[in-house]
Amino acid sequence: MTDLARPAILLVDDEEMIVTSIKSFLAVETDYHLLAYTSPLTALQDLEARITTIDLAISDYLMPEMDGISFLADVKRKFPLAPRILLTGYADKGNAIQAINRVGLYQYIEKPWNNDDLRLVIHNGLEKAALLRQLEEKVHEVERVHKELNDVQREILRVFV
Amino acid sequence: MLQDHTPAFYMIDLTSRNGPTARRMQPEKMASLGLLIAGLAHEINTPLGAIHSNNDTIARSITRIGQLLDREASLDPAERRMAEGRLIEVIRELCQNTLVATERLNSIVGSLKTFIHRDEAGFRKADIHPGIDSTLTIVQHRLTDRIRVEKRYGSVPAVECHPDRLNQVFMNLLVNASQAIADEGVITIETFRKGSLIGVSIADTGVGIPEENLPRIFDPGFTTKGVGVGTGLGLSICYQIVEEHRGRIEVSSGASGTTFTIVLPIARRAR
Repeated sequence: MTDLARPAILLVDDEEMIVTSIKSFLAVETDYHLLAYTSPLTALQDLEARITTIDLAISDYLMPEMDGISFLADVKRKFPLAPRILLTGYADKGNAIQAINRVGLYQYIEKPWNNDDLRLVIHNGLEKAALLRQLEEKVHEVERVHKELNDVQREILRVFV
Repeated sequence: MLQDHTPAFYMIDLTSRNGPTARRMQPEKMASLGLLIAGLAHEINTPLGAIHSNNDTIARSITRIGQLLDREASLDPAERRMAEGRLIEVIRELCQNTLVATERLNSIVGSLKTFIHRDEAGFRKADIHPGIDSTLTIVQHRLTDRIRVEKRYGSVPAVECHPDRLNQVFMNLLVNASQAIADEGVITIETFRKGSLIGVSIADTGVGIPEENLPRIFDPGFTTKGVGVGTGLGLSICYQIVEEHRGRIEVSSGASGTTFTIVLPIARRAR
């Protein structure tokens, strides 16, 4: 996480009114740094150019340009550790759940959603991402130490044998 | 009306090896009711979701403003004013957003009303060409430079019709035609007279309708456009309006595009 205090959250929904609702709620109740888009294609363009990470991504499912599952798959390629949340309307729930199971999304939220649930899902997702990141750091640390030990061992063998 | 009258429209399949064939179809309206409701539920859930969330956020903002007022004495006045200003701005924006959402709900209900409403009062003798032209003006922004419209108006007498409702049919067909054309193409509008009937055909050079979808295109709720683009009501509304005029609507579709033809009686005699 680049800024521990202000996690960066990506939100994409082709409906302006949904983006406005969620943006306003998060602005009042949290201090997340929100990157909101009504076009998944524009969002992907901006993500390609982005240097700092995205900590979590939320996407609508049915959008004219591309569906939310494909969009979140693209987000994963760029930011593999960011949990991905799908927003779905009732009609596409069955399809959405199948897709979630196939590509392994973190959560799905149904419209109309409850703001407290939304906040909790985001919070838990960020916590999970932070833990994963710590774990990854520890793994790197262990690998580094392991390599150092190997080098020392080789040196000892070279000197004494 | 429906019970003593077999709804008549014809599917003409131009892709068939044995040349064009026409089949008489019965609309399977009941089967698609579920689809219609599912589509509507999704359509409604978007504005409903926004309104639900907006109301909650507005309530939270008001609570926060109340808290700021309670702690007035212990707060830096400039900081307090800024926090309040930010919250009031949120409330203002969400009220506007809720208005947009309720307007959306209104238009969904409006299209449902049109769907079930049969209006006998608005029938009069009218020329169809001005109706087509004014509808073209409305959809012009969708056509832009990529679609050329070719008018081939024939010598057509005034028909007994409900002009606004007929325009709705033209509108739906023209919008569909423009959506069927991916890049550049032509929409041809032709009018003609055949004895006691007049006809209007709207042809596009678009992608065509897959054969397996042809029997379902007039079913309420059937759409391939994806939720948010189409409600799946457009063609079933067209069907209903044409039926109200005691006319029929025909479709032919193949690799080179789709043609919808509306045939209406010049005089709408009581049955």
